[in-house]
Amino acid sequence: MELSQYLSMMRDPAGVPFYPIVFQVLMVLTFCLHILVVNIVVGGSFLALWMRLKGTAESLRLSAALARSNTVGVSVAMVLGVAPLLFVQVIYDPFWYTANTMSAYWALGFLLAIAVAFTCAYIFYLKKDKEKGSNPVWAALSLAGLLVSAFIIHGLSVEQLYPQKWKDWIVAGDSVITHGKGLYLIEPARLLHFIVPSFAVTGVYLMLYAWFFKERKDYQPSYLRFVGELGAKLALYFTVAQVVVGFWWLLTLPHDLFFLSNPFLLLGAGAGLGLLGLLMTSQKDPSENAIKCAIGVLVTVFLMSYAREALRMVYVAKVGYSIFDYKLAVDWGSAVLFFGTFIGGLVVMAYPVLVAVNLARNGSDKNHPHGLGRLAAALPVLWFVLVAGLGIIISLKNGTLF
Amino acid sequence: MYPFWEVPGFTSALFIALIASFHILPSHLATGAFWFNVFIEQKALKENRPDFLEFIRKYTLLILIFCFVYGSITGVGIWFSATIASPRSLSSLIHNYVWGWATEWVFFVIEIVAIYVYYYTLGKIDVKAHLRIGWIYAWAAWISMIIITGILAFMLSGGKWLVTGGFFDGFFNDTYWPQLFLRTALMCGIAGMYAIIAAGRLEKPETREAIVRLASVWGAIGTLLTVLMSVWFVVKMPQAAKDLGLGAGLPYLKHLLYVAAGGFGAVFLYFLLGISVPKVPGTYSGILMIAVLFAGIFATEGFREGVRRPYIINGYMYGNQIVASDVPGKGIKAELASMKENGFLSSLYFLPDEAKKSSDAGRLAAGRMIALHQCGNCHSFEKNARLRSLPVFLDRIGMTAEEDIAVFLDALEGYAYMPPFAGTDDDKQAAAAWLASICK
Ligand code: HEC
Ligand code: HEM
Repeated sequence: MELSQYLSMMRDPAGVPFYPIVFQVLMVLTFCLHILVVNIVVGGSFLALWMRLKGTAESLRLSAALARSNTVGVSVAMVLGVAPLLFVQVIYDPFWYTANTMSAYWALGFLLAIAVAFTCAYIFYLKKDKEKGSNPVWAALSLAGLLVSAFIIHGLSVEQLYPQKWKDWIVAGDSVITHGKGLYLIEPARLLHFIVPSFAVTGVYLMLYAWFFKERKDYQPSYLRFVGELGAKLALYFTVAQVVVGFWWLLTLPHDLFFLSNPFLLLGAGAGLGLLGLLMTSQKDPSENAIKCAIGVLVTVFLMSYAREALRMVYVAKVGYSIFDYKLAVDWGSAVLFFGTFIGGLVVMAYPVLVAVNLARNGSDKNHPHGLGRLAAALPVLWFVLVAGLGIIISLKNGTLF
Repeated sequence: MYPFWEVPGFTSALFIALIASFHILPSHLATGAFWFNVFIEQKALKENRPDFLEFIRKYTLLILIFCFVYGSITGVGIWFSATIASPRSLSSLIHNYVWGWATEWVFFVIEIVAIYVYYYTLGKIDVKAHLRIGWIYAWAAWISMIIITGILAFMLSGGKWLVTGGFFDGFFNDTYWPQLFLRTALMCGIAGMYAIIAAGRLEKPETREAIVRLASVWGAIGTLLTVLMSVWFVVKMPQAAKDLGLGAGLPYLKHLLYVAAGGFGAVFLYFLLGISVPKVPGTYSGILMIAVLFAGIFATEGFREGVRRPYIINGYMYGNQIVASDVPGKGIKAELASMKENGFLSSLYFLPDEAKKSSDAGRLAAGRMIALHQCGNCHSFEKNARLRSLPVFLDRIGMTAEEDIAVFLDALEGYAYMPPFAGTDDDKQAAAAWLASICK
C-alpha cells in the first residue's frame, strides 16, 4: 500500500461534520491561547524558583504570587489544550493517531509529567513557611515536569510531520514494532522555539502585573517597579533570543518545503520584529507600556501559530494530503449548538472574570456588575431548558424515552 | 489500520478501564459537589451560620485539587489512552460528536473560571454574588455531564443513528435518560461522601456533625436512586446486551453486578449511620468508603463496557475496530464483507515484507499481524497474562493445533461476544498457524 493510500484510508469514513477551514481556524485560535498560557506557566515556574532562591523580600513576594498564578495557569493551560486536541483529531486524524500509537508510552508519560508538575506546583503554593517561603525543590520539580511534557508533546507533534519515515521507524524486517516505547523524532530548534518565548511572554506578564496593581495601596511602588523592570528586561532579552532561535529553526527545515517565502511566516516574523522594537522602547517605563506590549505578544503568537499550521500544510502536501479534500458531511444542528453555546459561554465567563479583576485591582468589590451576573446565572439554565426540550421531542419522536 | 500498541499480558483495554474508572470519582465529584456546596452556602446565609463557611472553604479546595488536578488529568488521560488503544473507535466518535465535545469544552472553561473565582473570593465579595458564582459552576458542571452522557450512551445504544447518522438521533438514544439520571444520582452520592471527608477536618464538633448529617442525607438519597436508576437502565439496555449480561452469555458480568450491589449497599448503610449518629463518620472512614464506592463503580463500568461486546460502538464498530455495518445516512460502508473478499492484509500499511511472502515464516509473520489486529484489543497473547490469555483459552477448549484453530476462527460467528473473523481462507490459515505457535 502506498503512503497516500494509507492516509486517505485512515480518514474516518463518516467524514468531517463541518467545513475543514472552520476546524482549522478554531484549532489555531485555541492552540494560540494554549501556548500563551503554557508560556506563562513555564516562565512563571522558572521565575518562582529563581525568585525563591534569590531570597530578598521583594523576590520572595513575587515568587509567592507566581506560585499561586502557576496553579491556576496549569489548569487553564490544560483546558485550553483540550480544544486543539479535539480539532487536530478531526482534520489530521491519520497523522495524530499514527504518531500516538507508535509512541504510546510517551503519550501516557506526557500525562504523568503533567500530573507531577501540577502536584508539585500545588505543594509549592500551599506548603508555605511564613519566614522562608516554600521549599524550592517543589518549584524545581514542577518546572522539570513541565519541560518533560513539552518535550514529549513536541516529539509527538513532529513525528506527524514525517510520514515518509513512519515505516522505517516501526517496520523492522520480519515484524512490526508494537511496544510503543519509541519516541522517534525531536527537533531541538523547533522545541526551543516554543520554550524560549516562555521567558519573553512571562516578562510581559510581569509588566502587566506592575501595571495592574498600581492602584492598590498594599503594593509599594518600589516593589512594582522591581517587577516591571525585571519583566521588561526578560521580555527584551528573550525576544532577541527568540529571533535567533527562529532563524536557526528555519535553516533546519527541509529545503524542498520552500517555507521561507510563506506569507504566514513572513507576517509572523514581521510581527516578532515589531514586538522587539516595541520592547526596546518600553524599557524605561514598563508598566506604562504593558498593554501595548501585551497586544504585540498576542498578535505575534497568533500569527506564529498560524505559521506553524501553514508549515504543517506544506509538510503534509508533500505526501498528497490536504484537509480540504476531506469527505464533507455537514451537520448544522450540532454546529449551531456549539456556536450558540460558545457565544453564550463567553458572556457567562465574563462575569466571574470581571468580578475577580475588579476585586484584585481595587481590593474591594464596589460597582459589582449585578446585571451581568443575573444574565450569566440565567444562561446555563436557559441552555438546559432548550436542550432538554429538544431531547424530549427527539426522544418522543424516536420512541426512546420510555 | 493504525499501528497496534501491545501491552503484553495486560492489554491496552485494561489501561483505559483503570484510568476511566478512576476518572469517575473526580468527574462526578466535580459535577455533583457544588449542588451540595451552594445548598450549604444558602443555609449559611439563611440561618446565619458563618461556621459553615469554613466547610465551604475546605470542600472547595478539596474539589479544586482532586477534580481540577487529577480529574482533568485523568479526563485527558481517557482520551489519550483511547487514542493509543483504540484509535479508530475514538476517531469515529470524534467525527460524529466533535461539536458535542466542543460544546462540553465551553462548559469546562466556565467551570474552571468559576471555581477559581469562587474559591478566591469567598468572604471577599457580596454574599449573594458569591452564591451566584457557585450556581454558575453547579449548572455548568452538570451540563457537561448532560453532554458527555449522550456520547457514552451512544456507544451502548446507537439507536436511529445507525440509519440516519444524525447527531441528535444518536445522542438522545434508548439508554440516554436512564444513564443521565443514574449519573446524576451517583454524583450526589459521591458528593456526599467527599463532603464527609472534608467535614471531618472541621474543628468545631457542632459544625462537623451538622454537615455530616446533611451530607449523609444527600448521599443516602443519591445511592438509593443510583440503584433504582440502574434497574431502569438495565431494563432499557438493548436485548443483545441483556442476553450477554443477565442471561447465559458471559457469567462474569453478573458477578460484577453483585459486587456493585454490595458496594453501593455498604455505602448506603454508612450514610444511614451518618444520619443517625453523625459523630461517627469522619475523614478516615470516609476515605475507606470511597474505596468501597470505587469498587462498586469499577464493577458497574465493567458491566457497561462488557455488555457492549462484541462492539465498541454498538451495532457499528467491533471491539477490534472493524466497521460492522453500513450507515446509509453517512454513506459509510461495512468493512467485514470486503475484508472477507480481499483479505485483511490489504488494510495494513504497516506490514513487514516478510508477511507478503508465501513461505512458512511469511505466513507466521502475516498471521501475527492478523491476530494482533483482530484479537489483540480484547486478548493478550502470553500464557501468564492477567487478561484473557489466548494460549490459555485455546488450551482450555482443547484447540491448540493449527487445523483446530482454523475451525475455531470460523466458529467465531457463533459467539455472541466476539466479532466474526474478517479475512480470506488464507488469512485464516495464517492466523491459525501463528496462534498455534504461541500455544506451544
Ligand atoms: C470484542 C472483544 C474480543 C475480540 C476482538 C476477540 N475476543 Fe475472544 N473472547 C472475548 C471475550 C469477552 C471472551 C470470554 C472471556 C471469558 O469467558 O471470560 C472471549 C473468549 C475467547 C475464547 C474462549 C472461548 C470459549 O468458548 O471459552 C477464545 C478461544 C477466544 N476468545 C479467541 C479469540 C480469537 C482467536 C480472537 C481473534 C480472532 C478473539 N477471540 C477476538 C472477547 C473478544
Ligand atoms: C502543561 C503542560 C504542557 C506543556 C508544557 C505543553 C506544551 C506544548 C508545546 C511546546 C506544544 C508545541 C509542540 C510543537 O509543535 O512542536 C504543544 C502543542 C500541543 N499541546 Fe500542549 N502542553 C501542555 C499541556 C497540554 C495538555 C494537557 C494538552 C491536552 C489537553 C495539550 C495539547 C496540545 C496539543 C493538541 C498540541 C498541538 C499538537 C499538534 O498540533 O500536533 N497540551 N504543547
